[in-house]
Amino acid sequence: MKRSTTALATVLALTALSANAADLRMSWWGGDSRHLATQEALKVCGEKYGHTIAPEFTGWSGHLEKVTTQLAGGTEADIMQINWPWLPLFSMDGSGFADLNDFAEIIDLSNWTEDQLAAATMNGHLNGLPLSTTGRVFMFNKATYDKAGVPVPATWDDVIAAAPVFKEKLGDDYYPLTMAYDASGVNTVLTVSLVAAQKTGKDLIDPETNTVAWTPEELVEAIEFYKMLVDKGVVRAWKDAAAAGNVKLHEDPKWADGHLAGSYEWDSTYFKYSDPMGEDQELVPVPLLKIDGAVTEAVYRKPSMVFSISKNSENPEAAAQIVNCMLTETDGIDAMGSARGLPASKAAAMRLQETGVIDPVLVAANKIIMDGEGPGVSPFNEHPEVRSAFKDALEFYAYGEISAQEAAEEIIVNVNEILEKY
Amino acid sequence: MGGESRYMGLAYVMPYVVGLLIFTAFPFLYSFYLSFTDYSLMSAPTWVGLDNYEKLFTRDRTFDKSLKVTLIYVFSTVPLKLAFALFIAVILNYRLKMINFFRTAYYVPSILGGSIAIAVLWRYIFADTGLVNMFIGVFGLEPVNWFGDPTNALFTITLLRCWQFGSAMVIFLAALQSIDKSLYEAAWIDGANQWQTFRNITLPLITPVIFFNMIMQTVQAFQEFNGPYIITEGGPLKSTYLLPLYIYEKAFKNFDMGYASAIAWVLFTIIMVLTLIAFWSSKKWVYYAGDKRS
Repeated sequence: MKRSTTALATVLALTALSANAADLRMSWWGGDSRHLATQEALKVCGEKYGHTIAPEFTGWSGHLEKVTTQLAGGTEADIMQINWPWLPLFSMDGSGFADLNDFAEIIDLSNWTEDQLAAATMNGHLNGLPLSTTGRVFMFNKATYDKAGVPVPATWDDVIAAAPVFKEKLGDDYYPLTMAYDASGVNTVLTVSLVAAQKTGKDLIDPETNTVAWTPEELVEAIEFYKMLVDKGVVRAWKDAAAAGNVKLHEDPKWADGHLAGSYEWDSTYFKYSDPMGEDQELVPVPLLKIDGAVTEAVYRKPSMVFSISKNSENPEAAAQIVNCMLTETDGIDAMGSARGLPASKAAAMRLQETGVIDPVLVAANKIIMDGEGPGVSPFNEHPEVRSAFKDALEFYAYGEISAQEAAEEIIVNVNEILEKY
Repeated sequence: MGGESRYMGLAYVMPYVVGLLIFTAFPFLYSFYLSFTDYSLMSAPTWVGLDNYEKLFTRDRTFDKSLKVTLIYVFSTVPLKLAFALFIAVILNYRLKMINFFRTAYYVPSILGGSIAIAVLWRYIFADTGLVNMFIGVFGLEPVNWFGDPTNALFTITLLRCWQFGSAMVIFLAALQSIDKSLYEAAWIDGANQWQTFRNITLPLITPVIFFNMIMQTVQAFQEFNGPYIITEGGPLKSTYLLPLYIYEKAFKNFDMGYASAIAWVLFTIIMVLTLIAFWSSKKWVYYAGDKRS
């Protein structure tokens, strides 16, 4: 009797599950480790709730184009990994994605702080759940600095002072820091932005007016700071860096062997840059370098990415169950691991630190970001057109085609013209 | 023809016609409409009349630069590639040992040429520490900044295209082999040398193939994307920023589909006009067998 009751209960449970079973899709970008971890998490959470989730994953390159085309055609996946700066592109009025407040009974929103949820809220609609908070940190190759007999820098003066010692003791092709390594020039843009923000205490974009917050003179100073770094041999000239073609820093042998001994990167990408290095190298994240007269550290901190649910999903509740499982439930968290950095979800962060999954160096790099202070960062900093306008002007300046004044004015005029559309 | 067989014929061509309508004709015409709109993909297109074209021709410095770079690229790549393909085809037309091996070997780059992998390989070969600089270093020469110098960067991309000469070469080779050998014998008996036979027999007889290759290569060169995108991403200073890269950036990075469509239509018009000029000029220099003029 007992056995037949158990069997009946099992059948009923399975029937109930299959009645609610949904076929879902989830899309994301990333590297191999993220692909494997996410597929495992989808398997675990899918089995737990009786849903089937088809994975759709790519590398970073081209993912924005793919998601945009899908969203335009209404064929997007039920669950999407969305880069935080894309939120205004897709959902300026908050209607581009499902409002996750509607699923508050399924998703345990208490795992995120109010600030974190506010950052993913567009026009009052919670468009995504932050996966982690990330920011730019300086990372230096301790082995190269040791070889030169110079301590790992704590200030800009230290980096600048290291340059002549590098040239003398290691060779002319050794640099304490690197920038403009690939065609995107993002490091140069962010370093110039960092200097301007430290000087003024303001982000590139004034949130009140949605225009550039810096004056041409303030921007000129920051651009000239970059020029000084080039002139003193701290970083390579743009032209010299471009000689390698459009190659990513972590793919370059000069990074791996320590010729380029520092960079300004996302804290969560620590292993992307440390993995290619030789056994004898050690990459060390350091607190933000500050210029003389800085009024703030100007930490560039932001939610790295969010999980969003499609507004067109036929099974948004099922999608919410899976998202909640991956971010707040033990089995989902264990499967996902640290595939997206140090999690923003309290439950996930606690679990991964308890189980020792998160490497202490990642925690240390993230702490620099979380402890840093500075003005709020507008997602428009990473708008593709804004980034392009900034980078193009800096590149023309770096090649001596225009003056620092012209570059500053060009950046301000062009960025304001782009922002006018929003 | 009975009614039934007429429908049968229609059924046979239907897959092609449907494919053509959906995947070519409709996007082609729709993009023309979009070129007069402001369309960001995420909202419905808004009619803006000639605004996109007006901006393109009067206020867009990037377009001016990109168009200039594209024209330089096309007009340097096509003649170089055709000349090289014809040169190799002439050599491979001789009865040499292992001739089939060489014909295959020279064709291989064309199979690989358009691929991403070859573009990446090209990047490594011409990088500052790449194979080419290592090679010239053997002769005591200073390394060249192939990608960082705006002048050299376009040349490097051009070389990649020229390296993919195989398909043009195979067509030339077929044309060379179809020339009646008795014409050469007659010329030799009359005392003509190699150059004279090539200039006065070979070249005129393969003009239809030169014309065909020229049109095809010109159209393809105008559409080049992979090489510059992978190797330099259009830089430095937009010196390798061909129009297809600009269209891609406007459409899929900035989501300005209306503006991207306008650029695409300008590119189409340029290709069309050049093709018409080529067809018009062909009456003066292309000779077809059986043509009264020949």
